[in-house]
Formats: sequence, C-alpha cells, structure tokens
Amino acid sequence: MSENIKKEIFKKIKIASENKTLKVNENTQLIGNQAVLDSNSLVSLCVDLEDYAMKLNFEFDWSSDKAMSKSFSIFRTAKSLTKEFIKQKNKSK
Amino acid sequence: MIIVTGASKGLGRAICERLLEKKFEVLGLSRNVKEIPFSSYSCDVSSYEQIKKIVNKLKSKKKKIAGLINAAGIASMNLALTTPANISQNIINTNLLGTIYSCQLFSPLMIRNKGGSVINFSTIAVPLGLKGESIYSASKAGVENFTRSFAKEVSHFNINVNCIAPGPIKTNLLKGLTQVQIKSIISKQIIVKQFAPTDICNLVEILLDQRSNSLSGQILRVGGV
Repeated sequence: MSENIKKEIFKKIKIASENKTLKVNENTQLIGNQAVLDSNSLVSLCVDLEDYAMKLNFEFDWSSDKAMSKSFSIFRTAKSLTKEFIKQKNKSK
Repeated sequence: MIIVTGASKGLGRAICERLLEKKFEVLGLSRNVKEIPFSSYSCDVSSYEQIKKIVNKLKSKKKKIAGLINAAGIASMNLALTTPANISQNIINTNLLGTIYSCQLFSPLMIRNKGGSVINFSTIAVPLGLKGESIYSASKAGVENFTRSFAKEVSHFNINVNCIAPGPIKTNLLKGLTQVQIKSIISKQIIVKQFAPTDICNLVEILLDQRSNSLSGQILRVGGV
C-alpha cells in the first residue's frame, strides 16, 4: 500500500510541475533552490493531495506549523512529503 | 454555491437575501443561526478550527464553491485610549483574522472549481482616518492590504479577490454613531448621500458576475472618497 501511495504522490508531483520530462525520485526537491515546483504548483499539489487523502478516508493537513516550517518542512523533498502523507494516514486509523 | 459570513444580520443578511432572490445557492455562516431561514451553519469566523470543520463538510458533500463573501464584522466606536484589550482583540480577530482564515480555508474549494470570486469588506473609516474608529479602521486597513496581496496569490487559479468599502450604511454597525457624525462622514464622500444595503448588494452581484472578471485586488469605495 505504501509503495502505491508513493507512486501516486510522485505522479502528482510530476503533474504539478508541468514538466513532462521530470523524473521524480525520493530526493527531488519540492521547495528551495533546486525546487521543481513554484508556489502556484505547490498549492495545486496540496489540493490534489487533499483530494487523494479523502479517497483514502483521511484528512491531509498541509497547512500546519510543521508543514510550513523552513527547516522541517514536509515539502523539502518527494520523500519527506510521502513520509508525512503516510504518517498522517496511519495516524487517522 | 456562494458562502456568506455574517449572514444573520446587517449587510451579510441583505446580501444572502438578494442572492437567494437571484436563485444562487447560498450558505450563510454566523455565530447565531437560529433565525436564519435559509441554509446555514453556525460558525465563529475568528476560529480557524470552526471554519475548517465547515470546509471539510463541504468537501465531503463535493460542493462547488463559486464565491465567498466575507461580510462578518464587528465595530466598537471608541477612542483607542479607552478601549479595553479584549474589545481590541475581538475586533481584530473577527474583522481581520476572520477574513484571512475564511480566504485561506475556502479558497482551495474554489481552486477545485477552477475559479471563483472573493469579496471582502472594508470601510470608509480607512481612507478618512475617523476619530473614535482607530481600532476598527486598523482591522479594515488590514483587510484592504490582505485583499491586494491575496488577489495576486490566487490569480493564477482564476480567483478574483476584491473589497467593498462602504460609508455609513443603515445597519446595526452604525448604532454607536450619532446622526451628526453620520452626516459628517457622508459629506466627505464624492457622492454626498447615504447609500443603502441594496446598493451594496448590487456591487456584490456585479463582482460575482463573470463580466467583472477583469477586476481583482481592488478596493471599491462606495460613494467615492
């Protein structure tokens, strides 16, 4: 299940980036200097992930202090985002 | 669906009634919904959590949100020096943070709907710097600048954000002002007359209409200043 979620999130990152040649991996940076997303596409991704979470019967909170913290942001990399998404899913059980 | 905060009375109520008359689907939000005869939820807009709960309900019902009208507001006409801290906090929490929270939380629903219109409310007290309204006008000055910046942040998503800034309109918010004070404020407008809730409803209708989609980040001063 976790692997499926990871694949789905990576797919959504690629769609949000609007870069058809982008190969998303765990180290893909979502914010910061090497970011593949700009602020608008980050918001689009968040809304998309909210909808995905609803399908999986939980609420994905992307606007918490932690999510937006500079040093610990869940949006640092594709891996950190996936990890937080799965963590919130497991917590909701 | 159009969401209207402050729906139980004053301008918010008048706006809801006008939109219902025009066959819009309206959801009113107010702290007290007992006497609201249309679809409504109890909500204190100064509570991020309460708004979030309503957003979740709307999401689960797959409601399409086309508009958000932030009409909830409180006023306390008093000198800043004689205003208790809790009153100042209430004014800022409801008028400024309430508007910010609603915009933050309802806008993603509009993004899903590929666009929408947000209408915030300010006051003539901002450009006039009226005596006895310093805290109220400070909260609304915040709403005006939030409107300008937020409009830029969501324009990519086809969401227009504007702000209506009326002069003295006949609602409960005027109860702290004398007729002399009201006349004095009106005399400073470009169009020297007291406008009515119906004039504000007309502006709301215009801003919700697709034909006004070239307007965003604007402060519409009713009567002109």
